[in-house]
Amino acid sequence: MAGPVKDREAFQRLSFLYQAAHCVLAQDPENQALATFYCHTERTIAKRLVLRRDPSVKRTLCRGCSSLLIPGLTCTQRQRRCRGQRWTVQTCLTCRRSQRFLNNPGHLLWGDRPEAQLGSQADPKPPQPMPNTAHPIPAHLPEEKVQPPNSSHQ
Amino acid sequence: MSQQAREDQLQRKAVVLEYCTRRKRKERKRKSRGLSARQRRALRLFDIKPEQQRYSLFLPLHELWKQYIRDLCNGLKPDTQPQLIQAKLLKADLHGAIVSVTKSKCPSYVGVTGILLQETKHVFKIITKEDRLKVIPKLNCVFTVEIDGFISYIYGSKFQLRSSERSAKKFKAKGTVDL
Repeated sequence: MAGPVKDREAFQRLSFLYQAAHCVLAQDPENQALATFYCHTERTIAKRLVLRRDPSVKRTLCRGCSSLLIPGLTCTQRQRRCRGQRWTVQTCLTCRRSQRFLNNPGHLLWGDRPEAQLGSQADPKPPQPMPNTAHPIPAHLPEEKVQPPNSSHQ
Repeated sequence: MSQQAREDQLQRKAVVLEYCTRRKRKERKRKSRGLSARQRRALRLFDIKPEQQRYSLFLPLHELWKQYIRDLCNGLKPDTQPQLIQAKLLKADLHGAIVSVTKSKCPSYVGVTGILLQETKHVFKIITKEDRLKVIPKLNCVFTVEIDGFISYIYGSKFQLRSSERSAKKFKAKGTVDL
C-alpha cells in the first residue's frame, strides 16, 4: 500500500491529538472537557479523510460522546459472564454508553491475519475469572482495582 | 319489538366500526454518534475552574506540539523553501502552539499571547500567562506562530474553518491579503 504524503501528515496529526489528550488529562485529572474536545476533533478528521484506525486505539475512545476512556477515571470496566462466555464491559461515565468485548484466550489472533498486517492485536485484558485483577493499561494515572461481580446473565 | 328498533337504529345511523388513525412515528433517535446539540449542552467546552490550573500546566502540551511540528517538517532549519513549511502548517494542528496577535482591527486584541487551547469555527481560545482565558475571534486578525526561528503569519479571515475541516480543504489564494 503506497503511503501518499497527505495521509502521513493526517496520521501524524491524529496521533498528535491523541497524545495531547492524554497529556492534558495527565496534568489535570478533573477536567475532561479539553480531552473530549481533542478526541472529537480527531474523530471528525478521521471521518473526513476516511482514515482507518487501529482497533486498540478505537477502543479507548467512546463512540457516543467521543471522550477519552481511561478505566478508573473516565469509565468503568467490569467482567461479566454472558451465555457461558467471558465479556468485558466498558461503560463510559459521561454518556453512559457501554461497549462489550469478548474475552476469549483462543480468540487472540483474529487481528493478526497475514493478509492485513496491521500489527498484533494483543488482548490487553488477561482472561482471568478471578476478581481483583489490575488490568494492564498504559495510563499514567493510578488504576483502580476492578471488582467484577460474578453475575451470570442467562 | 326491540330487534326492529335496533335495526332501525342501525340503518339510519352511521356506525363507526373501526377507528383508524395513523400516528406519525416520532423520529427515532438513531444517532448513536451524533447528539451534537445535547453534547454541547453538557459543557464540552471549558469551565471557568481551569483558570486556577495555571499556565504552567499547559507547558508540556506546548513541548509536545513543538516535537510534533519538528517531526512534521523534518528538521530545524533546513533552509528549504518556506512554502513547503507553509503548506504543511496549513494542514497541521495548532493546538498547543504559542500564538500572538500582531494586527487586528480591534486594538485591544493586539499583543495577546498565549497557548492555543481550542479552535472552533470562528474563534481561538487562548490562555495567557496570567491564567486568563481569552476568546479571540479569527476575523480581521493576524496571528503569529513561531517555530524554531520560523515566523509565520496567519490571516484569520481566511481561516474561518473548524480545525478538522482545515485538513480536508485545499486553500486557494483568493482576494487581497488584508485585514
